[in-house]
Amino acid sequence: MFRLQGSKTLAVDLTGDAVKAKNGSMVAYDGRMTFKKMSGGGEGLRGMVTRRLTGEQMTVMEVSGQGTCYFADRASEINLVSLHGDTLYVEASNLLATDSGLRTGTTFTGLRGGASGNGLFTTTVEGTGQAAIMSDGAAVLLRVSPQYPLMVDPGAYIAHQGRLQQSFQSGVNFRTLMGEGSGEAFQIRFEGDGLVYVQPSERNTVGGDV
Amino acid sequence: MPFREINSKMVEATLAPGQKLFSQRGAMLAYRGEVSFTPNIQGGQGGVASMIGRRVAGEATPLMTVEGSGTVMFGHGGHHIQVINLSGDTLYVEADRLLAFDGTLQQGTMFMGSQGGVMGMVRGQVTGQGLFTTTLKGHGAVAVMAHGGVIELPITPGRDVHVDPQAYVAHHGDVRNKLSTAVGWRDMVGRGSGEAFQLELSGSGAVYVQASEEKL
Repeated sequence: MFRLQGSKTLAVDLTGDAVKAKNGSMVAYDGRMTFKKMSGGGEGLRGMVTRRLTGEQMTVMEVSGQGTCYFADRASEINLVSLHGDTLYVEASNLLATDSGLRTGTTFTGLRGGASGNGLFTTTVEGTGQAAIMSDGAAVLLRVSPQYPLMVDPGAYIAHQGRLQQSFQSGVNFRTLMGEGSGEAFQIRFEGDGLVYVQPSERNTVGGDV
Repeated sequence: MPFREINSKMVEATLAPGQKLFSQRGAMLAYRGEVSFTPNIQGGQGGVASMIGRRVAGEATPLMTVEGSGTVMFGHGGHHIQVINLSGDTLYVEADRLLAFDGTLQQGTMFMGSQGGVMGMVRGQVTGQGLFTTTLKGHGAVAVMAHGGVIELPITPGRDVHVDPQAYVAHHGDVRNKLSTAVGWRDMVGRGSGEAFQLELSGSGAVYVQASEEKL
């Protein structure tokens, strides 16, 4: 099924089944393939309206056929995630492809999203199968356990899975207000049991400026 | 002389007296030994007629001739570099993707229309490659630039490969290519999958595909 060809190209072997991938991300294929855009990410009318309203829009195409299809996007590094009935939370812009056995949806993230420059909503992927997520630079996978909570820069967060509670913490103090901030004014705090994907690059966020 | 890959974004060439190579102007990063760099007004080999040909075709990139003895390192714009070794066959590549190539290779310009007629010309326009492309023929090595990593896909008879025109880098061997369209009514109403045009490559050889849809 999903395998990596180098670190920046995803190869998917298809035998008559289908995968969902980001619109326009195919770079090459052999065999016979058809590409069909799925309005609203293939979640039906309700999903489509939700995505429009929440700003977590993603344009997805369904690729089906026989052969090998190669996907890549702007030379981003690609990470494979295997899901066994659990849920992956990922930004719509970082999701490259999902298996046909996976469902996608939208959830509310609270205050975190506002500060990470991602909006207040995020995309969920659940079911059993594989998904490919993109990162700017090779991502590291950090484990969170009940004894060891993890703090992540909102701009470097890309995805998480498992039973995690997230909260938003700020290190704003007197110095920040004086314009002497360290650029690390906000963090996302993860507690519980699960995995967090972090990229070695930061998006532009409100927190990074103060 | 072969190019040695130092890392994914730099190559090193070893020059012996009497040998020469061509490289994109300004792509030298460092060198050891006695090496001279001469700007090449003709943009490659083949005298004035070839130069005019390349100018007219819009395939004229500023090249320089590198001669002497020593080692030279090349790199440009942080792009990934792929070294392709040719053994008698022809490499088709866009001129602006060429970083450096062996002086023994024969450089030429090919009219797209000569492969696939009118559709070939349409292909050049759609893919943004223009009506002409550069060919390199002979025995030697070529260093080609691409955005992101490059994967090599073999083409064998009966196993056609389809490539997104924006991700196409180069191909070599006895390969026919044509533009295949999968334009449906969905594309007409702005609901396309973004994969309306593809390059269909058939024959025997290999195609190089970059992990990005960005031009250089």
